[in-house]
Amino acid sequence: MNMSSRLKGILIGVVILFVAVLLAETLIVKVQTTSVRKEPKFYSPVLATLKAGETVTQISSQAGWFRVRTSQGVEGWIHSCAVQTKSFTLAAMDKSFKTQATAEEVALAGKGFNKQVEEEYKSRNKELSFAEVDRMLLIIVQPEELRKFLENGRLGEFGGPR
Amino acid sequence: MKSSRMKSMVLIGGAVTLAVFLMTCSTVQEQMGTITGGKVTTSDVQTAAKITKAVRNSFADITEEEEYYIGRAVSAMILSRYPVYKDEALTQYVNYVGNATVIHSDRPETYAGYHFLILDTEEVNAMAAPGGFIFITKGLLKRCRNEEMLGCILAHEVGHVRAKHGLQSIKKSRLIDAFTIIGQEAAERYGPEKLVKLTDIFEEVLGDIAGTLIERGYDRKYEYEADKLSVHIASQTGYDVNGLLDFLETMVDDTSTESGKGWFKTHPSAKDRIGRVEKEISSLATVPSEKTERTDRFQNAMKALN
Repeated sequence: MNMSSRLKGILIGVVILFVAVLLAETLIVKVQTTSVRKEPKFYSPVLATLKAGETVTQISSQAGWFRVRTSQGVEGWIHSCAVQTKSFTLAAMDKSFKTQATAEEVALAGKGFNKQVEEEYKSRNKELSFAEVDRMLLIIVQPEELRKFLENGRLGEFGGPR
Repeated sequence: MKSSRMKSMVLIGGAVTLAVFLMTCSTVQEQMGTITGGKVTTSDVQTAAKITKAVRNSFADITEEEEYYIGRAVSAMILSRYPVYKDEALTQYVNYVGNATVIHSDRPETYAGYHFLILDTEEVNAMAAPGGFIFITKGLLKRCRNEEMLGCILAHEVGHVRAKHGLQSIKKSRLIDAFTIIGQEAAERYGPEKLVKLTDIFEEVLGDIAGTLIERGYDRKYEYEADKLSVHIASQTGYDVNGLLDFLETMVDDTSTESGKGWFKTHPSAKDRIGRVEKEISSLATVPSEKTERTDRFQNAMKALN
């Protein structure tokens, strides 16, 4: 290998590295909690749980799901609607960048209509049933229960070819 | 010659890539610094306010967390009007059916997830508050003859959440006012004056949504859109989407509650909807069929109502 081709190799490597850095998307969790799952299915075993504002690196994508790596090094699947792209990709250079950054700022800072506003609203409207809303939030369907429900009812992937 | 041209192309390419990358990063750093990091100066706040005013200007810019707090308050209003039907097994069953459709929609996760509740009233109605709080009345449950019908009705409500129809009923001017205040305030908590103003707007926002959801009903086009989404979500789930037609058919000949509360007041005429739903169903490659396993468990769960 002569000097020139080695240099070429290094340069190509550097370019590939930069392109890879640019393409590797960092995703921010935008829902209260979400799960990193073994397979791209809601009733697949949970490998890690993430909270709003936490970030993951996207590895690949498939029909509404992202394969991601968490900061702890866990790799698994996360649904695309639970995350948003952190805005430092090339796409961020256009006008839409500002929208993303600002919505991001508000979300990350927990600003806007938040708990503090709700408290003030509650103090003005004491007759409202927030306690019932809190009880409603406790009704949760566990992934394994949902899988059984689908399977017993021959729904979703258990419904056979359509 | 060829080699040196290639080398310089690679060099230029690398330099451009690096420059773009660094520029983008520094811009992000600058933008993020205004609210999330370090000391915030007055000019930073003004910048943030300007950006916010310029860019957060529609329902689509409402964050997931904001949508959740709006949905909570709308639900509190609904639950102050209607008592909850407290049958755990039936509520759980409705949540299974609802969540089966949720995971086959393209918005399967919201800030705090989807939750379904039965309202203890003979009124025939179903409502979806922003963020995934979904209500179905006992009266409507009684109209369902099988899980297919229930699945289609819940998929219709999931469709309203998915398409953010509740948030779309907020008057734009209120959002602009709210976004401006939110953009100006950089501190962690709102000061008393800002809090009062923002809560005033929050109340107006809730008034817009509750007025639509509970009193007047959505614009027809949103109901048609939710029907369309229902056909697709329910068929993806594996339900016989003719269940939606079966349900609408029961509403056509029903005059007992026509001028009454609930469904008839807040939904366009069933006849109008049937034609559109039929057309949508005909566009599907295959339509899943009713399964006895499902009908059996439906009847079992519904025993509680009799």
